[in-house]
Amino acid sequence: MPAEVMTLPVGVSGSTSAPGRRGHMVSQSLSRVDDSQLIREAQRGDRVAFEELVRQYDRAVLRLALHLTGSEADAQDIYQDAFLKAYRNIGSFRFECSFYTWIYRIVTNLCLDHLRKRQVRKEDAPVTVDHNGEEFDLLSQFADERPGADPERDLMRRELGGRISRAMTKLTPRERMVFELKHFQGLKLRTIGEMLSTTEETAKNTLFRATQKMRGALGDMR
Amino acid sequence: MNCDWVKENVALYVYEELADDQRHELERHIERCESCAVELGAFRAFHRALNTVRQEEPTPNLLTASRMRLSEALEEAQQHKGWRRFTFDFAGWLYQAKLAPAMVVALIMIGFVGGGIAGWQVTRNSVGQPGPKATPSANEASIAGISGITQEPGTNNVRIKYNTLQPEVASGSLDDPKIQQLLLYAARNNTNSGVRMDSVDILTQKPEDANVRQALMVSLRYDNNPGVRLKALDSLRDYVKSDTNVRNAVLDALLNDSNSGVRSMALSLLQPVKGDASVRQVLEHLSQTDKNKFIRSESRRVLDSLGEID
Repeated sequence: MPAEVMTLPVGVSGSTSAPGRRGHMVSQSLSRVDDSQLIREAQRGDRVAFEELVRQYDRAVLRLALHLTGSEADAQDIYQDAFLKAYRNIGSFRFECSFYTWIYRIVTNLCLDHLRKRQVRKEDAPVTVDHNGEEFDLLSQFADERPGADPERDLMRRELGGRISRAMTKLTPRERMVFELKHFQGLKLRTIGEMLSTTEETAKNTLFRATQKMRGALGDMR
Repeated sequence: MNCDWVKENVALYVYEELADDQRHELERHIERCESCAVELGAFRAFHRALNTVRQEEPTPNLLTASRMRLSEALEEAQQHKGWRRFTFDFAGWLYQAKLAPAMVVALIMIGFVGGGIAGWQVTRNSVGQPGPKATPSANEASIAGISGITQEPGTNNVRIKYNTLQPEVASGSLDDPKIQQLLLYAARNNTNSGVRMDSVDILTQKPEDANVRQALMVSLRYDNNPGVRLKALDSLRDYVKSDTNVRNAVLDALLNDSNSGVRSMALSLLQPVKGDASVRQVLEHLSQTDKNKFIRSESRRVLDSLGEID
């Protein structure tokens, strides 16, 4: 485990200035210390501490599940199963990896199971379903409502979102997972390898295959 | 570096996953190779196009509903405690087995074959053949379970591997993997703190072994007996600087251990790495908020001895 364990939710990557980076390191240290205390309290059965721990990660977990399953109901089920599993088994957490990696390992496994089952049922529709059972396109559902937005560009963007959603359905569950974690969640391949209990090299190969398939499905995008 | 390599790694380049030397080589190659420059342009266009699509965030309603649902479920949920953590999850196994019909079929076949061989062996013995060799005086009551049955190809010899409940004595060198395994088991699982203390005491002679260090860190974090924790902590002294897992375990002991002796030793062990950002962070925290006056003043002293950093 590196000295500075990343414990912040995903989406914190990006270059920063030197003072910014130092501030980031300090906040990571504090977060690690805080996490460690919360984990210990949760291990002693403190439900409030566990819920506090959940709040540090749950938005990112829900986002990942929503992207991968394409369904709010399924994402909510995965969220529920993942954190319940974490609560039941937190006693066996031995600080050998960061809690961040541990909880993501649980979530990615549940998502992969879900994707595999859906693949077997051949229900992998390029549309998503909200709580009311209404279909919508995950990547193209948002109209750009900013002042001065160009409706034509917005339409093209939404069409592109639909094409990307369909292209993603051509990937295997594992390729889809690696691509999602790399491109949309911005994780390093080494972290992805740890989460999926595989090597960085295998994660690289999977990403290569995924991008090849995606590019093939989307055609020329210049 | 050739064009095939570049084409296979252009994605890693754009995702900033190439090693520095490979990145440099690739950039030099692109400067002089038009087809690879085109490939890089195409991948960048693909990458840009994906980025133009806004990613859906979970709505506040969905997040709140999920949290409430989880909160309700947690009221009913029980944590796996104590020995249950180490028991075999039969329900989970059944679930896995359900998902792997081939495995189930294989297990059933092994059962039939194993049963057949065992029956044949019993029949063979009952007609006056000599009994199985190298079998200790194991009666049925002392057999804890049969873990494997194999027949030597082309012979009548059958090898049955079973567990017994009889006390056994193992002796051998500390370098013997079997002895090490037993010591690690004793350090982690034994209910007798004297036995744990003895095993940790012996394991401290081999802290250079990563498995041993891992066991010592587990003892430091989880052993109920402060004497065992102190011993484990002391043996990790030389690895605080080089092994970040050890450093984190010592930091945890400093922050959370209930015994002030363990905490004081943890503090002294962290001296060589007091410049580390995470260590400084913990020391700052302790020097201001810790209930123990000695820990507060000692943390402050270590920080003061650091001088200005950066």
